[in-house]
Amino acid sequence: MGHTATPPPSTGGLTATEHRLANGLRVVLSEDHLTPVAAVCLWYDVGSRHEVPGRTGLAHLFEHLMFQGSAQVPGNAHFELVQGAGGSLNGTTSFERTNYFETMPAHELELALWLEADRMGSLLTALDEESLENQRDVVKNERRQRYDNVPYGTAFEKLTAMVYPEGHPYHHTPIGSMADLDAASLEDARQFFRTYYAPNNAVLSIVGDIDPERTLAWVEKYFGSIPGHDGKQPPRDGSLPDSIGGERRAVLEEDVPARAVMAAYRLPHDGTRECEAADLALTALGGGESSRLHNRLVRRDRSAVAAGFGLLRLAGAPSLGWLDVKASADVEIADIEAAVDDELARFAAEGPSAEEMERAQAQLEREWLDRLATVGGRADELCRYAVLFGDPQLALTAVERVLDITAAEVRAVAAATLLPENRAVLAYEPTDSADEHGDSAEAAVTAPAGSAGSTAQEENAAEEAGQ
Amino acid sequence: MNDVATPTGTSMDLHPRPAGGTPTPWAFPAPERGTLDNGLTVLRCHRPGQQVVAVDVNLLAPLDAEPEGLDGVATIMARALAEGTDKHSAEEFAAELERCGATLDTYADHPGLRVSLEVPASRLSKGLGLLADALRAPAFPDGEIERLVSNRLDEIPHEQANPARRAAKELSRELFPAHARISRPRLGTAETVARIDTDAVRSFYAAHIRPATSTVVVVGDLTGVDLDSSLADTLGVWSGSAAEAQPVKPITADDTGRVVIVDRPGSVQTQLLLGRIGADRHDRIWPAQVLGTYCLGGTLTSRLDRVLREEKGYTYGVRAFGQVMRSAPDGSGAALLAISGSVATEVTGPALADLWQVLRTLAAEGLTDDERDVAVQNLVGVAPLKYETAAAVADTLADQVEQELPDDFQAQMYARLAETGTVEATAAVVNAFPADRLVTILVGDAEQIAEPVRQLGIGEVKIVTGS
Repeated sequence: MGHTATPPPSTGGLTATEHRLANGLRVVLSEDHLTPVAAVCLWYDVGSRHEVPGRTGLAHLFEHLMFQGSAQVPGNAHFELVQGAGGSLNGTTSFERTNYFETMPAHELELALWLEADRMGSLLTALDEESLENQRDVVKNERRQRYDNVPYGTAFEKLTAMVYPEGHPYHHTPIGSMADLDAASLEDARQFFRTYYAPNNAVLSIVGDIDPERTLAWVEKYFGSIPGHDGKQPPRDGSLPDSIGGERRAVLEEDVPARAVMAAYRLPHDGTRECEAADLALTALGGGESSRLHNRLVRRDRSAVAAGFGLLRLAGAPSLGWLDVKASADVEIADIEAAVDDELARFAAEGPSAEEMERAQAQLEREWLDRLATVGGRADELCRYAVLFGDPQLALTAVERVLDITAAEVRAVAAATLLPENRAVLAYEPTDSADEHGDSAEAAVTAPAGSAGSTAQEENAAEEAGQ
Repeated sequence: MNDVATPTGTSMDLHPRPAGGTPTPWAFPAPERGTLDNGLTVLRCHRPGQQVVAVDVNLLAPLDAEPEGLDGVATIMARALAEGTDKHSAEEFAAELERCGATLDTYADHPGLRVSLEVPASRLSKGLGLLADALRAPAFPDGEIERLVSNRLDEIPHEQANPARRAAKELSRELFPAHARISRPRLGTAETVARIDTDAVRSFYAAHIRPATSTVVVVGDLTGVDLDSSLADTLGVWSGSAAEAQPVKPITADDTGRVVIVDRPGSVQTQLLLGRIGADRHDRIWPAQVLGTYCLGGTLTSRLDRVLREEKGYTYGVRAFGQVMRSAPDGSGAALLAISGSVATEVTGPALADLWQVLRTLAAEGLTDDERDVAVQNLVGVAPLKYETAAAVADTLADQVEQELPDDFQAQMYARLAETGTVEATAAVVNAFPADRLVTILVGDAEQIAEPVRQLGIGEVKIVTGS
């Protein structure tokens, strides 16, 4: 067990301490006794960017297998035990990491640690062909449900492939292709575990109503004897030129309900001031109902049902800004693109007004407060900064970094990146042009703003439980 | 302590599964109830640490009150509340909200209308001011109403194209009598929405929106907040006529077992939605129904997913749930009891056969004591997690008000769940989901699924196309 770091200056009363076991497992603790709950979050430094050609989707398929039992946890018992203890849990896979999390009533914290340690140390004793075949089918149905059976469902996958070239580790999305999912073998899964699921390739954070000393003793007891190993290859180099260097464009004629324009821009890496500035630029341009694109396309021109920007932050490759505009009836793609280009050019030239900066910063600050409102959200952010940037304390000062950005920096990043030559564009043309208004269904269309980047960047182990 | 071979050939120490510690008592928060001079009911709840305050307003404007032929006017009016006031234009209002880092959402549903504000505690007074302006003095400019109507018309094809929403709409149409508002789309049809104009919106507002029939719920960290004074200056100056009782028609439904296939050629999955109506929160069997429904399909380890997902791999997940449509002490309300999910097109027949087999086995053999125990432990145990955020608490309190339940309903619910036995839970869920009295909606490729579904003998099969 390593040293306990001095807590840094706190933000909003939050503090975190860092520890390291002899096997290399990094541990982050944060106490909060307001509610009797405790979150356990475990980030493995492996995501779809580590996958090799012909095995896309393996990181996510493997994440499902982590719920299929280990030495002392038969079958589905991981789910059963956590839920039976009054906890909630899931796992997700993205480009850059795989995370597993349990939020427990505080008195059941030890169970979650025992479960995570059991599968980290002994998964392969239980992994078998039957589980693999079953979860392969489940994941293929996840792909169908979330992407293939939904209008515009594969847009993000297509844009990603256009922004990150063939052979680049971020060229494919975490869900992977049906052919590669079919090709994954038990030996692939075993090899994946042996390569990446080691304590020295993970960060464990525990947040909430905890006794730090006792918690660390449990961590040492359950995780301490799992041997570290260094079989991992670094991910393939994700560096790319700042600009795509020429617009890439595809026109898709599909059975979709309306014309749409989607575009993706290469943006600065996460962890830089320029990325924070880009977040503010996208917020001012397309992050809410007072954003420039909403005001122009939805309110004034009435050419769009919804228009917004989302940001997918990436640390190991350029981040991705995603524009999503769904056209109103009878509006041409060219008119929408002209209006978008006009707004982007104007913003790049003049930058945000003082009021726009204030609004964008207020919105991003609230989004941070929302993320930090739960112990699970805090645990995830601590892991994120520890895994991707080497310092969990950065999570506690994230808001300050957003508030520190100036309008000039926002203008500069917009001028440098939000350019036609730095984007990939998908133009959707419905195949059934005689698209009369049908009847109404039960819920409103979800506005793409803000949520745009979140739909396809990560995959879950399970549907959220009801009730 | 045992040793087990690990991937690298070394070993980890295995420890027995830990027993939980002593639970820290937790109770669903009790709100403080009061009334402002204008008749507005106020529920407030201090939640330490919750820096984003949730403010929910219930307005007694049920969809039943929409004038004949103007389905959707409640939704357009609700959206128009945020489109300008006596102090701000529509664009200015959106900008002012976002300047506070606030979000304002409106939702018109069968029992009434909900307006939800979320705002950092530091800007609560400002947020309450904007909320009060929207309720007290909406401008309803002609241009904005026209825009909202055309925007709404543009949303409809998107909802039609979404399999889950399409299924929900079809189920309402099948289940409820054609003359009942609840049988028709919540947000109106293209025909009815196109008729909505400023006069219709103003009339609906004048007839139904007033403080005396409204309740505001304020939840969050209220340390240092003078809520009385903030409320007096904002929602306190809203005026309106006294309350009047709304006649309520009981909800009835035809649950004769039958199948409707909504043809969606080329679908790679079939969206399932099976439903009927049953007991709501005023019925004393509600806790038993919640418990039994959870055992049937509340999570990945419930009966449905144990077979359909974890054994067969037919789906990413199928859920059973009970969702209150309206609930009142006179018994006129009902809950929608439903099973939903999507399965691969080619296994639609076998998946439905298995689903029915699960229902029949449940009816024949009942739940086990273990199942009941785990379900209770989960439903009761997750309460402190589920209600970590201010928004979660506010939503539940607002639902209780809307459903005319006492403020301690949720708090009592946990005690009632704990007292519910296996026999009662079995009876409730078997009554809720009788295999021969379910209306089944399948949104999928009729050419591929119709024949296998007919062979199941689960009721007459009808195929519909278009809207």
